[in-house]
Amino acid sequence: MTHQTHAYHMVNPSPWPLTGALSALLLTSGLAMWFHYNTLTLLYLGLLTNMLTMYQWWRDIVREGTYQGHHTPIVQKGLRYGMILFIVSEVFFFAGFFWAFYHSSLVPTHDLGGCWPPTGIIPLNPLEVPLLNTSVLLASGVSITWAHHSLMEGKRNNMNQALLITIGLGVYFTALQASEYLETSFSISDGIYGSTFFMATGFHGLHVIIGSTFLMVCLLRQLKYHFTSKHHFGFEAAAWYWHFVDVVWLFLYVSIYWWGS
Amino acid sequence: MLRNLLALRQVTQRTISTTSRRHFENKVSEKQKLFQEDNGIPVHLKGGTSDALLYRLTMALTLGGTVYAIYQLAMASFPKKQN
Repeated sequence: MTHQTHAYHMVNPSPWPLTGALSALLLTSGLAMWFHYNTLTLLYLGLLTNMLTMYQWWRDIVREGTYQGHHTPIVQKGLRYGMILFIVSEVFFFAGFFWAFYHSSLVPTHDLGGCWPPTGIIPLNPLEVPLLNTSVLLASGVSITWAHHSLMEGKRNNMNQALLITIGLGVYFTALQASEYLETSFSISDGIYGSTFFMATGFHGLHVIIGSTFLMVCLLRQLKYHFTSKHHFGFEAAAWYWHFVDVVWLFLYVSIYWWGS
Repeated sequence: MLRNLLALRQVTQRTISTTSRRHFENKVSEKQKLFQEDNGIPVHLKGGTSDALLYRLTMALTLGGTVYAIYQLAMASFPKKQN
C-alpha cells in the first residue's frame, strides 16, 4: 500500500470534466435549436446535464476535503488563489457591461435625443425599491461577517442564524428585483437604454441567485458539522463571492440607477 | 400550579433539544471512515450504489445528448429543397 510523501492533492480520475464540457455543447447547440427551430429538447438536456455535473463535481470536492483530508494548508492556498482569480475574471465580465453603459450614456447619440436617459424613457426612481435593494445587500454583508466571526469563535447557533439571515436577505433582494422588472415602463428591446439596463442588472441578478445558492450549500454543510473554527474555506469562498456581488450592485446603483436617471 | 408550569417548561425544552439533535447529528467521522477505506474506488463512486446510478444517468444523458446534437447538426446542414 503506497502513500504519498508530499502535501499536494493528486485527484482521482474523474468523469465530470468530460460531462461538463459536453453539457456546454448541449447548452450552446440547444440555444441555437431554440432560436432557429423553436425546439427546447437539447437546451433542457444541456441544463440537466450541467446541473448533474456541478452537483457531483462539488460533492466530490467536499468528499476529498472534509472526508478524505486532502485539503492541506498548501492545497487550501491553491483553492484560495483559484477563487480569487475566478472572481477577478467575473469583475472583467461586468466591466464589459459597464463599458457599454458608459460608452452609450456619456455621449448619447442624436437618435436618442442627445440626452440620457434617452427621450421617451422613464427610468425607475433610484430612491424607491433600488435604494431598499442597496440596504438589503449592505445588511447582508454585515450578517455574513457576523456569521464568519461566529464560526471562528465556535458559536454554532449564532453562525446558523447569521447565515440564514444572509440567505434570507439574498432571496429578498431577488424577489424585490423581480417585482421591479415587472414594474419598468421599458423592456430590453427599448433601445440602448433597455439593453444596457437589463444586461447589466440581469447578469447581476443571476449572480445574486448563484451566490445565494452557494450560501445555502454552506448552511447545509454547517448544519452537518463540516466546518471547524479553523478550517472552513468553502464558507470563506462563498463570503468573498457574496461581497463581490454586493460591490457590483453598488456600482450598478450609482452608475445606472442614480447617475443614469 | 407553579411547579407544574416549571415541569412543563423542562419537558418542552428537553423535547426540542432531542428533536434538533436527531435532525443534525455529527456524522462526519462515519463519512471519513467510509471515504478513507483503502478499496481503490475513485471518489466519485466511493459513496455507494447511488453514486454509480447517478454517474450512469449523467453519462447516458450527456452522451445521448451529444449524439442528438450531432444529428441535429447534420439535419440542419442539408436543408430540404422547396418545390
